Amino acid sequence: MVFTIEQETLQLSSELEEQLVEDLKNLPENAPEAIVDNNFISTSFLNALGFGLQDRVPEFKTGKGTKAVDYGLRFSKDNDLFLHTQANPHVLIELKGRDINLEYNSNSYKTTFKQLKGYLLSSNCKSAHWGIITNSKHIQLFRKHGKVIFPATPCLEISPENIVDITYKIKKKIEETSRALTVAVYNNKGGVGKTTTVINLAATLTLHKKKVLVVDFDPNQKDLTDSLNINPAEYKFYHCLKDKKDLVDLKQVICPYTKTFKGGKTITFDVIPVDNELAAIDEDQIRTEISFHSLRKKLASVKYDYDYILIDSPPNWKFHSISAVYAADVVLIPTKHNNIRSLQNAAKTIKQYLPEIQQVRQEKTQGLEWGAISLPIFFNGEIISPAARVNAKKAITEIIKKAKVETKIDLTPFFFPRHKPGSNTSIFELSNSAHIANSAFNKLPAVYRYKVVYDYYSQLAKEYFLQ
Amino acid sequence: MSNLSDVGNLMYLDLEIIESSNETKMSEYLIQASAKELNNSSGRNWIPLVVKEVAEDRYQVIGNSFIYAVAEAAGLEKVWCIIADDSQETAKVTQILAGETIPKINLSTASVDDIKEALEYLVSQPATVLKGVKIAIAANRIDEAPRQYWQDLKPITKLGCGITAGKKVKALEQVFYLTPQSMPDDIKDSKILNTLTTAELKKLAKKRNFSGYSKLSKAKLVNLLSK
Repeated sequence: MVFTIEQETLQLSSELEEQLVEDLKNLPENAPEAIVDNNFISTSFLNALGFGLQDRVPEFKTGKGTKAVDYGLRFSKDNDLFLHTQANPHVLIELKGRDINLEYNSNSYKTTFKQLKGYLLSSNCKSAHWGIITNSKHIQLFRKHGKVIFPATPCLEISPENIVDITYKIKKKIEETSRALTVAVYNNKGGVGKTTTVINLAATLTLHKKKVLVVDFDPNQKDLTDSLNINPAEYKFYHCLKDKKDLVDLKQVICPYTKTFKGGKTITFDVIPVDNELAAIDEDQIRTEISFHSLRKKLASVKYDYDYILIDSPPNWKFHSISAVYAADVVLIPTKHNNIRSLQNAAKTIKQYLPEIQQVRQEKTQGLEWGAISLPIFFNGEIISPAARVNAKKAITEIIKKAKVETKIDLTPFFFPRHKPGSNTSIFELSNSAHIANSAFNKLPAVYRYKVVYDYYSQLAKEYFLQ
Repeated sequence: MSNLSDVGNLMYLDLEIIESSNETKMSEYLIQASAKELNNSSGRNWIPLVVKEVAEDRYQVIGNSFIYAVAEAAGLEKVWCIIADDSQETAKVTQILAGETIPKINLSTASVDDIKEALEYLVSQPATVLKGVKIAIAANRIDEAPRQYWQDLKPITKLGCGITAGKKVKALEQVFYLTPQSMPDDIKDSKILNTLTTAELKKLAKKRNFSGYSKLSKAKLVNLLSK
């Protein structure tokens, strides 16, 4: 059978395209911000993205003090002109002049990204899903989901040859904003509470009225499936994963997990459990039928149905964990403060595994997707004495120092997210509770049973995800 | 990287997601008869297809296309495939290893033995057009000719070894390619000069600042230039 790969057809009108290229070509080499804005962004780029004059607010007040971002954008509807309401922006643009270098990882790039991040998280911008930084030489699109901000494209170099293509692809991404954030919960080290985190985080987010899908992708242990006592549906996940022809709908393998509270109130999150075939098959055989991209591709079919897709992964770096991280937007790494290996493995994931994943993801999408990034680590459920905390931080400081020397990668933001000159080294700690461990026997997420556990996980959810 | 891709993997893939771009004609008899044999056995293609990934869950045959045709004729839904990388070189060498294309040697630099073996191969083909060509003679004359300067294979037709212009010399293109050197301007070897056209000789004469060469015959030009 012969088929052709679908050619993406550009949907920008030829006039807009020509204008875009023309305006870019005519920009002086060192044009300052005002000229980049006046001669390129406002004249052609925003039009090409589909944002008319009614859909833009220049100097949009973010609510962070009196600070304003260069543009707030949202498509207006009939009775709701963004220009008039100036509320609920969809996209923010932080603009720079050509005299400011936005090359990836340059100092001014880092500052500009930080600036954008601050705007995206401020009170008037809760509705924003996207952020763009550009100086008309480089451009990068970021996605915001709740509190999480991650690169949606690499930092792309703009030229008259590729500006049409880049603009079209950014436009397409903005128009097709997926509802779900896909999170892989991963640590190469076992026993750090990955499954417990996934289950209780899912239950907590569900209590916060989010629609959640949980994927048990640790078929050897299938702890998640067992701890929730879920029997796979008639259709097996294994069959869906190996179906490269897209005939088996992922929805057929999803099982609801419903909790009925006293008084009859029920809440549900969905689970893709491990079926007995997936549990039995060995890695060599699985690789004859299923590719690393298969999980990502299957989950993409439900990304408009959920707010969160949480993937539980095994403590190794083999097929299942690689697939889980490949499928994810972000990776959440639980660690134990008293387990140095779990900290070292977190560092290894960030400086070695994730860049590998990002490279493949970027190659496979012709440089249009970034691939998973890591959220800051957290200490999972142990009582930490002040002395032990000092020791753990010492160990982390060592790890960070070593990584800087060996790989030039700065791990500080992944271990000490609140770090500022003058050094704030706080790490999120999920408090310990005996209830959490005991709940495994009850086939019930601890957060559904114990208010205090709910409080703990609620803090985790708010620290990382909920805005 | 190998850890993160399917390259090198043996995979059991749906025939439907594999594209075969092979236009070479294969005998319908061989396909149908082989398909019957495959069906009479376990139905497993122990010799795999060689494919490359062209998009997620989309593959293209780069080697063993015959097996693709047989699997299709046998009505197999899935076939065993080796996943190769998507480079040009891999596709080329795979087709050579699968016996689907004939490898070529560089005639500009090949040894006399290599030339002889290549000619033997061509003459031994059932549908050869080179019947009657004396391999030893042809190989020797080609070897001794100034082939390092040849731009194409045409000079072979002037060697008097039975390989004439038209389909005979054309047949040689199956096994030979050339990476010609440019000829030095001060060349004096009359044997080499003789292989040039009159126009080329005149150009050479001009470069060497001779005068009065424009009306000379080829033989006289060669004579002039070889002094």
